[in-house]
Amino acid sequence: MRKIFKVPNKNNLEEKIENLQGNLANIKTREGVIGYILRNQKSASVDIEDPSKMIDYAILSSTVLDSGEYMTTTFELGKVNHILVEGEDVKVLLLTIGDQRISVFMNKKVDHNAIYEDLRLK
Amino acid sequence: MSRDVYATALKSTLTEIKKMCPDINYSFIFGKDGAIIAGDEEPDALMEKTVHSFQNLAEKAAVIGELDALSINGEKGKLHISRFNKMYLVVAASPNMDTTYLHSVTNVIVPTVLKVLENIAPTPLKLTPTSLNLSPSQQLVVDTLTGFFAGSDVQIDGTHLEEWSQRLDGKDVDEVEIETIDGKKTRCRVKKINDSKRQGKKLILIPEKTCRDLEAKKGELVKVKPVAS
Repeated sequence: MRKIFKVPNKNNLEEKIENLQGNLANIKTREGVIGYILRNQKSASVDIEDPSKMIDYAILSSTVLDSGEYMTTTFELGKVNHILVEGEDVKVLLLTIGDQRISVFMNKKVDHNAIYEDLRLK
Repeated sequence: MSRDVYATALKSTLTEIKKMCPDINYSFIFGKDGAIIAGDEEPDALMEKTVHSFQNLAEKAAVIGELDALSINGEKGKLHISRFNKMYLVVAASPNMDTTYLHSVTNVIVPTVLKVLENIAPTPLKLTPTSLNLSPSQQLVVDTLTGFFAGSDVQIDGTHLEEWSQRLDGKDVDEVEIETIDGKKTRCRVKKINDSKRQGKKLILIPEKTCRDLEAKKGELVKVKPVAS
C-alpha cells in the first residue's frame, strides 16, 4: 500500500536558510574568498583559511554587526540589506537572513556585490 | 594656517559635495584620534557617538589591515565612512544615492583639498596617538579555576608575560584584558600558571565567577591583551 505524506509548503525564507550552508561552501571555493562565518543564536559554522585568525575574525564580525546596528538606528537607515567593511588587505561582507548572521571574508578585488546577490537570491 | 581655517576649508568642501550630491543628508569629517574636524553642523552627541562606535570597530578591524571604509546599505538610507589619509569622511544619504558617483566625487575633491591645505600649511592637524594602536595579543583556551582559593586573578603561561614585557619595553604586565568571541570584555589581574600540568598548553585559567560574567566556557578561545603597568 502506498502512503502519501503531506510535505508542508516551505516559505522562501526557510528555503534560503536551508541552502545557506551549501551556498557559502560554494562561495568559499571562489578565487579570493578567504572564508565565512555563519552564526545563529544556537550554533556557529566557521570556515576560515587561516585558523589562527579565526577568533579575530569572529570578534570583528560580531563588533561590525553591533556597531552597524547602532549606526543604523542613529541614522535611521531602516532594515539593513548589507554591511561592507574594507580593510587595507581584506574586506568583509555582512548580512542577516532570518536569524542567520553571515560574514564573508574576501580579498579586496573580489566582487562583493556578486556574492551578496548570490546569497540573497538563492 | 590655523586649525580653524583648516576646518573651515573642509566644511566648505562638504558643502560643495552636498551641492553635487543632493541625496546627502548629513556629513562630517573626523580624525583618527576621534576629534571632529568639520561638519554640516556643530559637533553634537550623534557625531561623537558615531565616532566612538567607529573607533571601537576600527580597533577590531586591525586583523584585516587598517580600516579603509565602512558602508551600511539600509532600506531607508545609506551610510558611508571612508578614510582619507588620517581622516574619515562620514556621509549619510538617501537610499537612492548613487554610491559610485559619490565615491568619484569624494575621491577627487577631498584628497585634492587636503593636498592643497598640506602644501599651504604642513601638518596643521596634529593627530595624537590613537586608540587604534594595538598591544600584542594572544588567543588562549579557557580553563577554569575552581575552589575556595581560586581568587579573582587569572593565570597564563609565564612565557607570555615575559614576551609581552619585552615588547612593552620592559614594563611589567600585571593586568590583562580578556575578550570573548561575543565581544564581552573584562580586565583582571594576571599571574603565571603554577600548576605544571597546565603549563605550555596555551591556556588561560579564569576563576569560575569571571567565566560566568564573561559567559565563557571551558575550551573556548578568548583574546587576551596585556595591560602594562
